[in-house]
Amino acid sequence: MSTIAATHVGESLGHGHEEATGWKKYLWSLDHKIIGLQYLFTSLVFLLLGGALALLLRWQLAFPSTQVMANGDVGNPISLPFINPQFYNALFTMHATVMVFLVVMPLLIGAFGNYLIPLKIGAGDMAFPLINELSYWFFVASGFVMLAGFFVAGGAAAGGWTSYAPLSSVAAYNGTKMGQTLWAAGIFVNGLASIMGAFNYITTIVNMRAPGLGFFRLPLTVWALFITAFLLLLAVPVLSAAGAMLILDLNFGTSFFNPAQGGQPLLWQHLFWFFGHPEVYIMILPAMGMASDVLSIFSRKPVFGYKAMVFAMIAIGFLGFIVWGHHMFVSGMNLVLSAAFGVSTMVIAVPSAIKTFNWLGTLWGGSIHFTTAMLNALAFVAMFVIGGFSGIFMASTPVNIFVHHTYFIVAHFHYVLFGGSIFAIFASIYTWYPKMFGRMLDETLGKIHFALTFVFFNLCFFPMHNVGLGGMMRRIADPTAYEHLRSLQPINQFITFAAIGLGFSQLLFFWNFFRSLKHGKPAGKNPWHATTLEWTVASPPGHGNFASTPKVYRGAYDYSVPGYPRDYIMQNEPDAPDAPAAKSSVAKVPVG
Amino acid sequence: MSLLSLLSTAHAEVRQTSVWWLPRNVNMFGHEIDFLFYLILWLTGVTAVAVFSVMIYFLVKYRARPGVPAIHSHGNNALEVIWTTIPVFIFLALAIYGNEQWTQMRLRTPPADALPVAVVGEQFGWNVRYPGPDGKLAKMVASKVGKENPFGVDPADPDGIDDFTTYNDIVFPLNRPVRLYLSSKDVIHAFYVPEFRLYQDMVPGRVYDFVWLKAEATGNFQLACNQLCGQGHYKMFGKLSVVEESAYQAWVKSKTPAPTASIEKSNPVPVSLVNK
Repeated sequence: MSTIAATHVGESLGHGHEEATGWKKYLWSLDHKIIGLQYLFTSLVFLLLGGALALLLRWQLAFPSTQVMANGDVGNPISLPFINPQFYNALFTMHATVMVFLVVMPLLIGAFGNYLIPLKIGAGDMAFPLINELSYWFFVASGFVMLAGFFVAGGAAAGGWTSYAPLSSVAAYNGTKMGQTLWAAGIFVNGLASIMGAFNYITTIVNMRAPGLGFFRLPLTVWALFITAFLLLLAVPVLSAAGAMLILDLNFGTSFFNPAQGGQPLLWQHLFWFFGHPEVYIMILPAMGMASDVLSIFSRKPVFGYKAMVFAMIAIGFLGFIVWGHHMFVSGMNLVLSAAFGVSTMVIAVPSAIKTFNWLGTLWGGSIHFTTAMLNALAFVAMFVIGGFSGIFMASTPVNIFVHHTYFIVAHFHYVLFGGSIFAIFASIYTWYPKMFGRMLDETLGKIHFALTFVFFNLCFFPMHNVGLGGMMRRIADPTAYEHLRSLQPINQFITFAAIGLGFSQLLFFWNFFRSLKHGKPAGKNPWHATTLEWTVASPPGHGNFASTPKVYRGAYDYSVPGYPRDYIMQNEPDAPDAPAAKSSVAKVPVG
Repeated sequence: MSLLSLLSTAHAEVRQTSVWWLPRNVNMFGHEIDFLFYLILWLTGVTAVAVFSVMIYFLVKYRARPGVPAIHSHGNNALEVIWTTIPVFIFLALAIYGNEQWTQMRLRTPPADALPVAVVGEQFGWNVRYPGPDGKLAKMVASKVGKENPFGVDPADPDGIDDFTTYNDIVFPLNRPVRLYLSSKDVIHAFYVPEFRLYQDMVPGRVYDFVWLKAEATGNFQLACNQLCGQGHYKMFGKLSVVEESAYQAWVKSKTPAPTASIEKSNPVPVSLVNK
C-alpha cells in the first residue's frame, strides 16, 4: 500500500503497469483513461435502454392498454397490449433504476471521474488501478443482474426504484420475488463498485496531486468529485446493507421490514433515504463542478467566487446527510421530526442559491463563446434553477401534504436529473471529447441536438408540474381509470409526444458521437484554450499521461489576465518575470 | 330514498375547467396549504424571472466580440455575503411559517366532537368503519389488524357493537370535523384526495390518528391510493362524498352494525400473484 503515492509517480508515470494493447485494452485495462471510456460507452448504452423504457411507459400513460373505451372495449386502439399493469410497474421501476445506477452515476463519476481526476491533478493514474478496473466490472455485473429481472418468472422488480417495504420484502405482496431479489442483488453489487471507486478517488486526490497543486488550486470538477466520493463512501454502504436485508426478508425468512412478523416498514425508508438523499447530491455535485469549469472556459473568466463554490459544495455534502426525512413527511414518522427535517431542507437550499449566483457572476463581464458545450452548461444552470425552485414547494411541509407523490415531484426530479445532470453531462462530453478521442464533435449537429433536446425537454417535463397540481398520482398504470384525471388526459398525451421527440433527438447525439470518432476535426492539445493540466498533454493522452510530473504554479482559472499576451495561462506555466499581473489569481477585483 | 340512490350512483367530478391548475379545495386546512403554495409560487416566480433576466442580459451583453476582452475577476466577498444572507432569511422564514401551519394541521388535537372514521387499506381496496349512534369507534390495535380482523378491534368492545363498515365508500358530513384512523392490512397505501389537499401514508403495523379534516363543500370525489401497492395499485380508488348532515344521518341509518366485520368486497380487483 505504501508504494502507491508520489514516489511512484516520480519514478514511473505508467504507474507500475504496462499499457494493454489491441482489443484486450478495452476489456481489461488498468489505465484510468480506458476505464473512464469503458464507463462512458457502457453508460451510454444503458442510457438508450433507460430511455426506451421511459418511452414505453409514456406510451402506456397516453394510450393505456387497460383503458375502458366509450364503446366498452378495453384497451385504447393504439395501445401496446403487452404493457399490463404489472409490466408497467416494472417499466418505471427499471427506468429509474437504470437511469440512477447505470447512467447518471457512472457517467458523472465512473466516466468523468476516472478520466479527469488523474489528468487534472497531474498524476499518472489512479492510486489503485486494479481496484479501478474491478469497480468497472462490478458495475457492469450489477447492470446485468438488475436487468436479468426482465427474464425471470414474475418479471422485473415492480415496487418502484425506492422499493418500499413490505411491498418489496414480501413475495406474496409483490409477485416478483425473483425480480425483486435480483434488483436488490444488483443494488448491492453496484454499491460495491461505487465504494471501490470512492476510496480510490479520495486516496488519489489526497496523495497524488502534482507539486504545487494545493487543494485551493484544484479545478472545481476535482473538488466536486472529491466531495462526492465522501458522500458515496458514507451513504452507499447503507443502501447495500438495506439491499442485503431485503434479500434476506424475501428469501430466508427474516423479517426486518414486515410488521406481520415484528418488522418495521419505516426502517426501510430510513435506510433507503439515508442513502437516497446524499444520492441526489451525488448525482448533481459532479455536474455542478464540471458545469462550473465549462462556464469558466467559455466565458474566458475565472470562476466567480471560487472558494464560495467550494464551501457551498462542502456544505451541501454535510447538510445532505441530515435532510433525508423530507422524503418521509407524510410517512407518519414522528411529526416533530418532520418539522426539523423541514428546516434542514430549507437550509440546504442556501448553498445551491450561492452556486447559482456565482454562475451568473462567472458570466458577468465575460467574453462568452456559445459553443455546444457552453449552451448545454447554460441549460444546466437554467434547468437547475427551475428544479431547485420546485423543490422548495416540497420542502414546505404543508404544501408537501398536497403535492407529495404527484407528477409535481416527477417534474421536479427530472428538472434536476435531466435538466441538471444530463445537460451537464452533455456539456462535459462536448468539452472533453476532444481530449478523450483527439477529435472534435461536430458543432452544427451539436447545436441542433442541443436545441431539440432543450425544447422537447421542457415540453415534456414542464406540463408534469401542472398535471401533478391537477391531482395526478405518480406510478399509476392508467390515469383514465380516475374520473378526476380523465380531463387531464390530453396533457398526458402531449407529454408523451414531447417525450418521443426528446428520445429521438438523442439519436443525433449518438450519430455525432460515433461519426466524429473517425471524421471529427483533429483537436490538438488544447482546442478550448483552457488552463488545466489535462490540456497540456496530447489528445488523447498517452499511457502514464505526463512525460514528467508537472509542476503547478497557479490556480485553475487564470483566464483573461490583464497584460498577458493570451487570455489564458496554463496551470503549469511559471510566472513570467515580465508579466507581474499574472499573480493576480489571488487578488480580488471589485465588481463594477 | 332518492338521495341515497343518488349517492350510490354518484361519480366523482370530471373537471371541465382549469385542467392545468389546482382542483377546487373543500377542506378547512386546504386554505393554508393553498396560501403557502401561492406564496412560494410568487417568491420563486419573481426570483426566477429576475435570475433568467439577468442571465439573458449577461449572455447578450457579454457575448464574445473581437477586441473586447473578458474582465479578470475572481469574485467579490461582499456580494457572497449578501447573496448568502438573504436566502438564509427567506428560507428560514419559509421554514418557520411552514412549521407553524404543519403544527396546526398535524399536531393540534382534533376537536372532541370530531367524527371518528377508520380507513384500513388492503391490496386493492379500502375498508372503512364508522361509529354507530354512540359516536364511538371500537379501539383499534395495530398489531391485531389482519385478514380476519381488518380494523384490529376487540369484538367485545362495547364502543364497537354498533359500528358499521363499508368498502370503497366514504361519506363525510358537511362542516363537521372528521378524525381519521388510518392503517393497512398488508403493504403501505396512501390516503390521497387532491380536493382535500390531503395525502397520508397508511402503514401496516401502525394506526395513525393525527389526520383530521373538515369538509366545507358538498360533492363527490375520488379517494385514490397514492403509494405504489402492487399490480392493482392503479385501480385502488374509492368513492368519497361530502353530504349535508341530514343526508349523512340518513345514510348512517341505512347501515347495519358489523362488530368485527370481515367485509364483503364489492369490486375486488382480480389479482393473480405468482410465486406463493
